[in-house]
Amino acid sequence: MLRSLARIAIILALAARLQADTTRTPEASPDPPQAQQGAQTEPLVIVVNRSNPVTDLSSSELRTIFLGNRSHWANGRRITLVMREPFEPERKTIVHDVCEMSEDQLKTHYLHGLFTGEILVSPKTLTTAVGVRKFIYYVPGAIGYLRMSDVDATVKIVRIDGLVPEDKGYKLRVQSLGANTGE
Amino acid sequence: MRPSRFARLLPMMDRLLSSASRYHALLLLFLVCCGVATIGAFAIRDLQTASREAQEVYAGSVHGLQRIGELQYDTQETRRATLYALTTSDSNLQVEYADQTRAADQHVKDGIAEYRRQAKQPAEIALAGRLARDWTNYLNVRDEILASILEGSTKEAVSLDLSGGVPAFELVRQDLNEVKRLYDADASQRLENLAVSWRRASWRLFGILGFTFLLSGTAVWAIQRSRMLSTIQLAKLQMEFVASVSHELRTPLAVISSAADNLADGLIAGKSTMRKYGGILQRQSRSMSHLIDDILLFASTEDGTKRYILQSLPVSAIVDSIVSVTEGVIRNSGFSLDQNIEPDLPLAIGDISGISQCLQNLIVNAIKYGGDDRRISLRAFAVPSHKGLEPEVRISVTDRGIGIDHSELPHIFDPFYRSPRVQAAQIHGTGLGLSLSKRIAEAMGGSLSVVSEISIGSTFTLHLNVAKGDDVEMAREVPELSPSSPS
Repeated sequence: MLRSLARIAIILALAARLQADTTRTPEASPDPPQAQQGAQTEPLVIVVNRSNPVTDLSSSELRTIFLGNRSHWANGRRITLVMREPFEPERKTIVHDVCEMSEDQLKTHYLHGLFTGEILVSPKTLTTAVGVRKFIYYVPGAIGYLRMSDVDATVKIVRIDGLVPEDKGYKLRVQSLGANTGE
Repeated sequence: MRPSRFARLLPMMDRLLSSASRYHALLLLFLVCCGVATIGAFAIRDLQTASREAQEVYAGSVHGLQRIGELQYDTQETRRATLYALTTSDSNLQVEYADQTRAADQHVKDGIAEYRRQAKQPAEIALAGRLARDWTNYLNVRDEILASILEGSTKEAVSLDLSGGVPAFELVRQDLNEVKRLYDADASQRLENLAVSWRRASWRLFGILGFTFLLSGTAVWAIQRSRMLSTIQLAKLQMEFVASVSHELRTPLAVISSAADNLADGLIAGKSTMRKYGGILQRQSRSMSHLIDDILLFASTEDGTKRYILQSLPVSAIVDSIVSVTEGVIRNSGFSLDQNIEPDLPLAIGDISGISQCLQNLIVNAIKYGGDDRRISLRAFAVPSHKGLEPEVRISVTDRGIGIDHSELPHIFDPFYRSPRVQAAQIHGTGLGLSLSKRIAEAMGGSLSVVSEISIGSTFTLHLNVAKGDDVEMAREVPELSPSSPS
């Protein structure tokens, strides 16, 4: 009985948080945040802690990880997912291109997973790229995403489907900061 | 009763001090000053060393305490920031705390590296190594705790801290306490060394001051005693002079008195006898008159009232004149005079009467102390300027008599001085002749020197400056000189 009440309370809290995030999100539509034609873009890279032995991930592995369906790395380390705020273009790219969902769908997915116990930990939300980089540096099992221009030697870039950001066909791209978006 | 050691030493010191002239006293004073300056320099060096050590101890204490304090603070800061990260679920704040703990642990690493660099004692080196190792161990645990906190596993983080973090940090804390203990021990040792250094410097200073006072007191005593002995010596010489003058006056006086008695008693008859007695009275009275003139002249040179008129003088003419004046005395004494006057001598600066007085004294002395060889040489020659010295005209009088002992040479120009050998040989004199001659020579801007060897003879040389330009009027003619009495 008590457990049921606790679950209800958690659901209500998460719903309230979800509502707040949705209110803050300027664009909550499932429309893809694809970089507009003609706008300048830059690669968005997936980064992990330098001690992490993983160097390559497939798109499906990446999706599994970002949906919280995989909890540990091959070396036994717990996976900690680091994301930016919902309204950030980097997050939009990841949610759309990797998770293949809208922001709302993703939140619902996480609410559901946490409620059912399928997902153990929700993603950590950091407000800045520097924060993301430092978090990944401090946590051996952390994984996150950064603009290519925000990457430094403290983190390690993971290839996606064998492609590095410089390769042709690398999918994850985000509008460059300060570029004319036409909005 | 045997005399004490000090009583035996005192006469020796008196003899030593009596030989000390004014220059010796000044030399002694100079040596004392040098000694005091040297010792003072040592004292200053000691004080400077002690002061430098004190400054080093102070600076070392301040720096060391600051370093240990910073190290302790940074270790606590590392732990504090880690634990603060536990208090929030905001990942941004947690990252901020992680940054803080990272920055603090870097300071600790730097502090430990500095401590390792400065560690000298084996215990310090070992402790520095242990501290670095324990700190690294703690940081490893800390990183795990931090990762757990950031992952959101608060429970796991607390568990890790309790099981690994607290014991590891306790080891670090103990190491830091050991660092402080070793530092305290080192500081105590340095303070002890400083105290020893100060005590040593103080004792040295006291010793130096005591030695300086002793040295100064001895020097003052020696100078005072030297002066007292000089005064006694002078008084003795004056007494001897009075006795000598009395004797010199009494002899002609007795002759005059005897001649006067004979004349008064009518014992003298006949013109030739009367003339003979008249001659005797004349010579003896002149002798007395010259002696009194010498004494008065010496007195006038002594108080500086005697003035000489300096002129450019033809030396050869003066020498000729003096030779003619003293010729009779030389001949009557059974001496012969060799003259060697350099031709074309330059004009010399001097006073005619002064030069005459001076040379007559030298010639009479040469007769008195000339010995059995009975030859006197008179030489006049010019010495050109060389090695920065002015050109001179020199007139030397040489005898081949008893000579002067080297030990007596510094004293023969002292007033009233008479050599013990001369006194023993019953050679009469007042001890004023050479002193007077030297003063006259110096008053004319010249000097008087002597070279002598026992049993070979003596050469006294009068040095006169050569006249330059027209600023000194040349004497038109050399006046006729009168003989002066031997002194």
